[in-house]
Amino acid sequence: MPAMTLQDHPFGVWFGIDEAVVSRVLTEAMSCGAEFSDAYFQHTRGVSIALEDGLVSRASTGVEQGVGVRAVLGDQVGYAFSESLDLGPMLAAARAAAAIASGASGAPSQAIRPLDLPDRYGVGRDWEAVGVSERLPLLQKAEGVARQMEPDVEKVSIYWNDSDQRVLVATSDGVFCADRRPMAMLACQVTLLKNGKRQSHSASVARREDIGWFTDERIRDLCRRAVDNTRILFDARRPPAGEMPVVLAAGASGILLHEAIGHGLEADYNRKGTSIYATLLNQKVAPDFVTIVDDGTRPNDRGALNVDDEGTPTERTVLIERGVLRSYMHDRISARHYGVKPTGSGRRESFRHTPMPRMRSTYMLDGPHTRDEIIAAVGRGIIAETFTNGQVQIGAGDFTFYVKNGWLIENGRITAPIKDVNIIGNGPEALKNVTMAAADARLDESSWTCGKNGQGVPVSLGIPTVLVKSLTVGGVNA
Amino acid sequence: MPDELIQQSAMAVDLALKSGADDAVASVSRSQNTRFTYRDGKVEQVQQSASCGLHLRLYVDSRYSSHSTTDLRPEQVRRFVEDAVLLTRHLQPDPYRAIPDPALYADRSTADLDLDDPAVRDLPRDLCLGWLRGMDAVAHGDARVISATSQVSFGSSSSAMVSSNGFEGSRGGAHVSYGSSVTLNEGDGRRPEAHRYVNARHLTDLPAPETAAAEALRRALDRLGSRKAPSARATLVVDPEAGGNLLSRITGVLSAGAIQQNRSFLAGKKGQQIASPLLTLTDEPLLPRGLSSRPYDSEGISARPTPVIEQGALRNYYVDTYYGRKLGWTPTTGGPSNLVFVPGDKALDALVADAGEGFYVNAWLGGNADATTGDFSFGFHGHRIEGGRLSVPVSEMNITGNFLDLLNNLAAVGNDPNPWSGYRTPTLVFRDVEFSGR
Repeated sequence: MPAMTLQDHPFGVWFGIDEAVVSRVLTEAMSCGAEFSDAYFQHTRGVSIALEDGLVSRASTGVEQGVGVRAVLGDQVGYAFSESLDLGPMLAAARAAAAIASGASGAPSQAIRPLDLPDRYGVGRDWEAVGVSERLPLLQKAEGVARQMEPDVEKVSIYWNDSDQRVLVATSDGVFCADRRPMAMLACQVTLLKNGKRQSHSASVARREDIGWFTDERIRDLCRRAVDNTRILFDARRPPAGEMPVVLAAGASGILLHEAIGHGLEADYNRKGTSIYATLLNQKVAPDFVTIVDDGTRPNDRGALNVDDEGTPTERTVLIERGVLRSYMHDRISARHYGVKPTGSGRRESFRHTPMPRMRSTYMLDGPHTRDEIIAAVGRGIIAETFTNGQVQIGAGDFTFYVKNGWLIENGRITAPIKDVNIIGNGPEALKNVTMAAADARLDESSWTCGKNGQGVPVSLGIPTVLVKSLTVGGVNA
Repeated sequence: MPDELIQQSAMAVDLALKSGADDAVASVSRSQNTRFTYRDGKVEQVQQSASCGLHLRLYVDSRYSSHSTTDLRPEQVRRFVEDAVLLTRHLQPDPYRAIPDPALYADRSTADLDLDDPAVRDLPRDLCLGWLRGMDAVAHGDARVISATSQVSFGSSSSAMVSSNGFEGSRGGAHVSYGSSVTLNEGDGRRPEAHRYVNARHLTDLPAPETAAAEALRRALDRLGSRKAPSARATLVVDPEAGGNLLSRITGVLSAGAIQQNRSFLAGKKGQQIASPLLTLTDEPLLPRGLSSRPYDSEGISARPTPVIEQGALRNYYVDTYYGRKLGWTPTTGGPSNLVFVPGDKALDALVADAGEGFYVNAWLGGNADATTGDFSFGFHGHRIEGGRLSVPVSEMNITGNFLDLLNNLAAVGNDPNPWSGYRTPTLVFRDVEFSGR
């Protein structure tokens, strides 16, 4: 017996979707000879609220629902979706997807194999049950806190959004599972005016949590980061241009891992031979003290998942173990290509999109050094603290991240603040050049969204304090 | 189709008013799209989509909210609208929130924008597959190609909007795009990649598919052997595609929202010289076949050509109703449409010859800009310019500066505006830019 039946699930109650309907859709998707088919049902309710100029003056809500149907033949994919969950449009989508193949009808779906899934983001109250007026005080509190912290504050904007997403994944090989995924985000943006000059910056926090998680202390911490990181910009300057040692502060600097290593280890790029890491599996790519994981199992992380968007239970995947490249991140298609188990990394932005191997929470484990040792080891370089962008070229391996706040390091000591510089490097070279790592690994809780082929998914990232021997830092020439 | 969408929009407005809204604006949109992806000799993916959605803006007792749904079942729409009105009552009143002045709806252009090519609405599968096979063959035209992916995408969209204070309109169009991306084996582990995609409203406006694929391959080949050059303060020549990305940072801070929130380095500069006199930039929403053409904007404000920068002087901001009221300014339009430049008279070769020494940038890699101060820093790749000619390819380098300085240092504008984008940027040349490399 399945652990879950559709009778009492919202998709059954709201849309009349039962096992028989799901089976018809999957069978239709295989009607032209596809080897595999799946259906991804999604229903998401979202609320966004903005507070500007002291007023909660804008709110929006959204309902996004539909089903995406996929037919797979080898590594060929047919895909179509329907926003209507009526049988006719769903079967039409299935037929459109089926046309990737041109042969006899494929094998019918097997018996349903229910998945017993953990609950990594159980929340006290579902967002659906929270009235909008309960959210408003959070924004007002944050605004008040930020204004109190700093006399030079000119503008404070607080942005909120939350969503309550239900998904149902059914596959032609019998996987049948549901997940309910909460998400909430609070951001504080401030503009300070000082001696006729303005600076602005923001901070955010985003987790799969409920409203009770947003305590006064967390709101205060958020506003503190926003205000402090803005205030320091008045004294900040551009560093000298060129190659230099870069210390990555613990936490948000995990963006280096995400860009320089993570994307290149997504198996679709490697399957196609277009990643710079395509031939490096089981090779030594970093010093012994470097272990990097991509982990969907950490409770309530922004990147946490019970099950991926192809019905594979998610896991903790060791990508680099003591310096050796151990695994790519796999979806079903790439796992089959490599003859390995999928790593639960098949994700998609919504039912409108096909799944691909994606990151979840990507972080590096503690190293053997201390932060003080690392800073003392730098003659002339920078330490990077906050970031507002990152990007990578998968094949060439060149990656970048934009440093909003940081400091100069001169003769082993942190000296003057810096701002607004892009840093560029090459993934495999940067990995080899990680010469020190501290035992202070921290996961950043900011609202990171990863973009790939036009699809955005929520992720987390983290890192201990790390020294990269040389990267190219944007700046000014003497 | 437009009539049906207008009816659905009008029904949503009625429901909102019956539920207690003082004013409401509803729009219903539909779109369809098909995309074929072809990689290394075979079809990799066929994607078909048909979307619809309702978007609603509500004004209730001086309170404002917006809502969207893809669940268009009548009973669900009714509940959705009722819930939305109820939710709005829980917000705070904001004296600046009001439905747009209906005077702004007047004098809507009736010119045919020619945005719909019937040939593009439903391209035959065999035609697309023929193009893809041709592009795939061309993109593989070098022994060092590891993988090449080509795509053809086409579709159409239409939307209608109705407001409780007299707006009614519909708009739509078709689009088609194709191109290739190519990854090469550098020999040292690196696998440089490049792509070329072109898109237009009408099929006949596009170059042949094989031409786009050949351009993708050429761009990838151009990257072989790229290296970091020494850091320098030097002349920057930006290709039209990359130039569009750079200038989109400027139109972003011209919005009334950015100005009112004090997050714009161009605040307080209307009428002032903000750029070299070589820069003249007009917002042209009524451009026939334009990728960003529109008879009215998202608020229903009738579209008209608007000078943005004239010979380096800032002429207009993008002013919507809400932030316009906060600033006491008359709304113009909420955001950019097509941006048209007054071109120069020189081609790329001549501009590079004039530059003498410096860097040619044809793609950005990451980076960002601070909207409040104008500080920016971007990664790029391209070529060195030596002795007045493009020379070795460069990568792993950044440019860093401030937009106000950069705009003043504009030294030349090319004769080659990019036709495949709403930002019709020509080649741009800037002096005294900070480059960081080895």
